[in-house]
Amino acid sequence: MSITVHVPAGLHACCDRSSDLSLSVPSVRAALEELERGHPSTYRSICDETGAVRRHVNLFVNTSHIRDREGLDTALAPGDVLTILPAVSGG
Amino acid sequence: MPERVILTIGTKKGLFVAEAPKTRGRFALRGPFGSGVSVYSALIDTRGKPRLYASSCNPFFGMKVLRSTDLGKTFKETASAPAFPKDDGRALANIWSLAAGDGRNDLWCGVEPASLFRSPDGGDSWEMVQGISNHDHARKWQPGNGGLCLHTIIRDGNRVHLGISTGGHYLSDDGGKSFTASNKGVGAGFAPDPYPEFGQCVHKIARHKDAPGRLYMQNHGGWADWTGPGGPRPDIGVLRSDDHGRSWRSIAKGLPSDFGFPMVVHPHDADTIYVVPLTPATRTCPDSAPAVWRSEDGGGAWKRLAKGLPKKDSFFTVLRDGMDVDELKSPALYFGTTTGQLWIGRDGGEKWDCLFDSLPPINCVKVAVV
Repeated sequence: MSITVHVPAGLHACCDRSSDLSLSVPSVRAALEELERGHPSTYRSICDETGAVRRHVNLFVNTSHIRDREGLDTALAPGDVLTILPAVSGG
Repeated sequence: MPERVILTIGTKKGLFVAEAPKTRGRFALRGPFGSGVSVYSALIDTRGKPRLYASSCNPFFGMKVLRSTDLGKTFKETASAPAFPKDDGRALANIWSLAAGDGRNDLWCGVEPASLFRSPDGGDSWEMVQGISNHDHARKWQPGNGGLCLHTIIRDGNRVHLGISTGGHYLSDDGGKSFTASNKGVGAGFAPDPYPEFGQCVHKIARHKDAPGRLYMQNHGGWADWTGPGGPRPDIGVLRSDDHGRSWRSIAKGLPSDFGFPMVVHPHDADTIYVVPLTPATRTCPDSAPAVWRSEDGGGAWKRLAKGLPKKDSFFTVLRDGMDVDELKSPALYFGTTTGQLWIGRDGGEKWDCLFDSLPPINCVKVAVV
């Protein structure tokens, strides 16, 4: 049983045009590590070279922002959806 | 295939490519590539089969390098972009300069925070150049309004010149292994010491390839009226060096302002240079009437070139990489504006026409005949 990583349209080109990736990982941190191994361009778009999530990228587990859970240590259960979303912009 | 003039136009909303026959009558536009994302630097690499490179600076998803092998009909992201080592503590914030190196696939890249990277394989892998990126001064440089950027890379054999804002001019005599601040005569207006060892807000450095010892600099001028510590410092904005950048002197006399961003050298005459003087407070042309200014004697005297440009009510900025000149027998100048216009100045800037009137705000313009 795995979790789903939902990738925004702006990053589809980084992961073979996929909008959803399936991973078997126990936490958000492990999901990012798996992305770094399997989809390095996607990973670089989410995290900078220090390993920090980019300032204008938000990560949600189901409907909760990871900052309201345990950050990168937020646990993932089978069936969870990890959504990558760019912060709102415009004006 | 007949030779063509290729322009890369880096904008706030992606890269455009314009192409024309050598007559430069009508330019066909394609793009944007990297749509919606700012492009601050581009390179038309004419070594062998031409390749185009552009930085794609995404505030959400980070920096990419785009590469085209079909003269800008399509672009693909290179395998990686410059990145600081994981334990460095710095993170790439922008890509400001792309330059050709020695080998066929060797690239140099200046970034923000001010650091230098090299690629041996056309941008697929990158290595940080320690000599400047971890220079003793590197953690003391301050960002200017545009960020802490390494924006100019000029190479002449083992001699390498770098322009950093705000860091100043750095010179290497050993191919980039080590660098020395080389700012004698380069003024700074935003520090009590008018001539510090380093920390100047250099905007652009240029030189003619056949006169490598002669360099021209557009520095951050506009400090003639300063009344604080250190006193006024007029004419520090437009400078010349005749000793490979070891010392610099003002050539600003005769210009309406010593503030500006781009500095361009004529392709066939090392004495002929072009600047775009701007009013310091607004970064727009004096009296709202845009003009390029030309010197044909290395900065001794200046002439205003404005035929065809708006005579009034024009308030754009031309940024540091916003102007270039082609290498045809009678070269044309090109500049892009922050209001999205791309101008061509035929006959070395004697007569100006607007090629494109409604592009996104323009960051950088490069031209090559291929």
